[in-house]
Amino acid sequence: MSRQQGSPAEEARYRALQDLDPRGENLLEVLIAGLHDESWRVRHAAADGLQRLSTPTPGEVAARLVRVLGERGETGARNAAAEALSGLGLEALGPLVTLLGHVDPDQRKFAADILGQLGRREAEASLVQALSDVDLNVRVSVAESLGRVGGEHAARVLERLLGDSEPLMRLSALEGLASLKQPPALSLVEPLLNDARLRRSVFRVLGLIPRAAATEHLCVGLSSEARSVREAALAALGTQAALMTSELRGEQDAVIREALLRLPDARARLARALEAEDVAVRAGALVAVAASGDASLAVPVAEVAREDRLLRDVLSTLGRLGPEGGRVLLAAMAELSAPARAAAVESLVDLVDPSSVTPLCALLEWAEDDLRGVVVRALGRTRSAEAASPLVDLLRDSVTAGAATRALGVLAGSCRSAVVAALQDAVERRATPASVAVLARVGGRPALPLLRRLARDEDPRWRAAAVDVAGEVDGGVGRELARAALADEAVPVRAAGVRAMGRLGGSDAGALLRPALQDEDVFVRRVAVEAVGESGASDRAADLEALVRHPDGALARASVRALSRLGLMGMRVLREASEHPDPEVVKAVLSAVSGEGLALAVSLLEHPHWDVRAAAARVLGESGGPECLEPVRRALEAETDVLPRQALADAVARVSRR
Amino acid sequence: MARFDDSRPEMTAEEFRLLRDHVYSHCGILVHEDMKFVMERRLWPRLEALGALDFSAYHRYLRYDANRHVELEAAVESLTTHETYFFREPSQLKAFREELFPLLEKRNARTRRLRLWSAGCSSGEEAYTLAMLLKDERRFDDWDVEVYGTDISRRVLTMARRAEYGPSALRATSADLLERFFVPVPAAPTKVRVRDDVRAMVSFGHHNLLDETGSQLVAKMDAVFCRNVMIYFDQSARRKVLRILRDRLVPGGYLLLGHSENLLNLGADFELVHLRGDLVYRRPELPGLTGGEPR
Repeated sequence: MSRQQGSPAEEARYRALQDLDPRGENLLEVLIAGLHDESWRVRHAAADGLQRLSTPTPGEVAARLVRVLGERGETGARNAAAEALSGLGLEALGPLVTLLGHVDPDQRKFAADILGQLGRREAEASLVQALSDVDLNVRVSVAESLGRVGGEHAARVLERLLGDSEPLMRLSALEGLASLKQPPALSLVEPLLNDARLRRSVFRVLGLIPRAAATEHLCVGLSSEARSVREAALAALGTQAALMTSELRGEQDAVIREALLRLPDARARLARALEAEDVAVRAGALVAVAASGDASLAVPVAEVAREDRLLRDVLSTLGRLGPEGGRVLLAAMAELSAPARAAAVESLVDLVDPSSVTPLCALLEWAEDDLRGVVVRALGRTRSAEAASPLVDLLRDSVTAGAATRALGVLAGSCRSAVVAALQDAVERRATPASVAVLARVGGRPALPLLRRLARDEDPRWRAAAVDVAGEVDGGVGRELARAALADEAVPVRAAGVRAMGRLGGSDAGALLRPALQDEDVFVRRVAVEAVGESGASDRAADLEALVRHPDGALARASVRALSRLGLMGMRVLREASEHPDPEVVKAVLSAVSGEGLALAVSLLEHPHWDVRAAAARVLGESGGPECLEPVRRALEAETDVLPRQALADAVARVSRR
Repeated sequence: MARFDDSRPEMTAEEFRLLRDHVYSHCGILVHEDMKFVMERRLWPRLEALGALDFSAYHRYLRYDANRHVELEAAVESLTTHETYFFREPSQLKAFREELFPLLEKRNARTRRLRLWSAGCSSGEEAYTLAMLLKDERRFDDWDVEVYGTDISRRVLTMARRAEYGPSALRATSADLLERFFVPVPAAPTKVRVRDDVRAMVSFGHHNLLDETGSQLVAKMDAVFCRNVMIYFDQSARRKVLRILRDRLVPGGYLLLGHSENLLNLGADFELVHLRGDLVYRRPELPGLTGGEPR
């Protein structure tokens, strides 16, 4: 066979291994041969195949792979064997632990490394024992692997190694403790700061100690000439900040601020750190910038949001830069990346003032849709009458209408007359029906004549808007308009009438809503079911009971909730609804159970959907008596899903106290 | 009286899980556990737009509402960062132009046909950038050249077809390129539109990268740009996407990923190619074949 690489021949060998059926016979040696191929792709395919073989057993495969590790001069094959072993899981543990006792230190080191990659806690005891290996390289690998797979015991052992005579051992012990997130006492770490070779690892460990004394040591690193040391210190400050209470964070800030004041080029150093490759360094730089309050760094801070995981830290840091930071961001919006712009806009909501209206409006002209809603929110907080007109214009856009409605409400708190005037103008211009609701809510009773007129408008969108909001201004007018709307030919108007009737209630609500429960349009029927519950129309209970079995999950769920609100949820109906295939309906049942219904909640602890099981556990935690304790405990023992487990554990704790 | 409350609901762990699973089952995009905060922020505008009071209500909207499919696309779009602009990652584009264009020219000399795919093209900047590179490259004059841009979001495709862009999309575009490939938009002083002759080289289509059936509609490609798209997928979804991309590439065709991406631990269906200025991946040649390939 040709051994040409990067060629059709290589592809043929690769495909041949890819296409092997792992259930086949006598494949072990074929794949072992593949581990020795000169092409990394073929070796990778072989390693992958070895992890999927049906025969021989994984233990036998592991033993065979261990033999490959011993083939000196076959670097590619050995590495591929290591890759395959680390993918075999628990089955590889035995052969690798045996290998830890091999006569050749090279083999023992291999074993330690792969045990670390396996990530199995079961290897801890063997690895701890291997710390007494005569070969330093093996001991170093063992310490590093303990950092990956160890627990409390490993941490204590590694702590003792901090006093080892070998610097390499001290280094790997520090790294291991940092990986395990198990810091030793500060007094054990401080002496190691004098060793330049250990400094970065010491910083990693100091970052796990949430004390101002540790912060002071880290801040010394900020002034280091070596970038790697500065970055290690920053990364540790980031780790430390995440572990601190707000009070401790205040102490940390003070120490960092003090240290930065002593640094002549602090700003430039922080700006560079905000662009560091390492996420942890960027996180630490954010902590430092927040402590310094330097608004000129607002743009590089916002750019850190390109790393999604740091969004929360970015927002918090931008918030610390105050209105000056807001102005810097507003001026730079066009140059920011999309994630940075999103973070900047989000933070602006809390940083705007009346001077922000013009730049915010400019931003609205080209900002992405998902940002526009946030810009609208910010506009509502400017406390400027100039924001009223642009906000009213934004009611026309379905993407921003909801946000603009709320923003106008907020703005009306400080500029009511400007908001009302802008809304009246919009209604007169027939700009958008959305302006009707806002005008009614902000303008109050003087808007009633307008609402009456609009409820007869030829455009159903305007009729619906008027009917929807009239009851919020005046119950009598609202009822009158809603009643008429129930017979409207347009779906949105009927739905608005139904919603309004639900909110307004009254002794005739059930009779008036009855036709809507049989409306030709399913959306109107859903709204009607909700309205029956909201209005307290218990004379419609029978209609709702018939709907709890409806195949439309939304309709069935709404019926369960409405019956619950009416206080008319009988056991028979509860049981029927709990058998609905849609878990949302079953969860609605659970939110309605009490008393004898708790037995139903117990039975739902075994429901196939995790969210139903969690909901059942919550119900039992809230209302279950001592008789529920045993089934809840049993369910907790059997539960494997983390969220229901949390709910069950909480339920056990609460029921136990009763 | 209704509240004018501009506070926003928090997302519970269960709401996060329900929404995450819903999105994952739709398109393979996996939002990791530590991204709840980000998901919450990104979906707030959607809740606001729909008037949903909390994330449970939003989840039910995605399950029940007549417009749920449209909204699911909007949700996915909100969850994926559309960090895209013209001439992004210039070193990769330079390597593509200087090192792969000559290879592609040689390879396709007989057919004089070239197909590039911008997979996950968002609002079209990358696809148009490729068209501009081709336009500037005289070696492909009179060739049958097409750039195909696809995305899972219909809304961004509408924007891509409109081809109008604001200042942020142009932040890496030189004055010279701006002059040659864009025209002003009279109605919007802050915007420009891609010139018609460039637009004519690009077509767009709706495509879920995990949809094997739908991918059959994509022609065989000489190169695929799938930059910063797979970061949203988990390993199994990535493997599936790579299988599909491989299938859509001609043997010997190139796959270009974002600079922070690689195919480590994702099998070895592609060869790594070391260019002078970049690393790219290549679908290996078929055994027994060199050069010309079925399309």
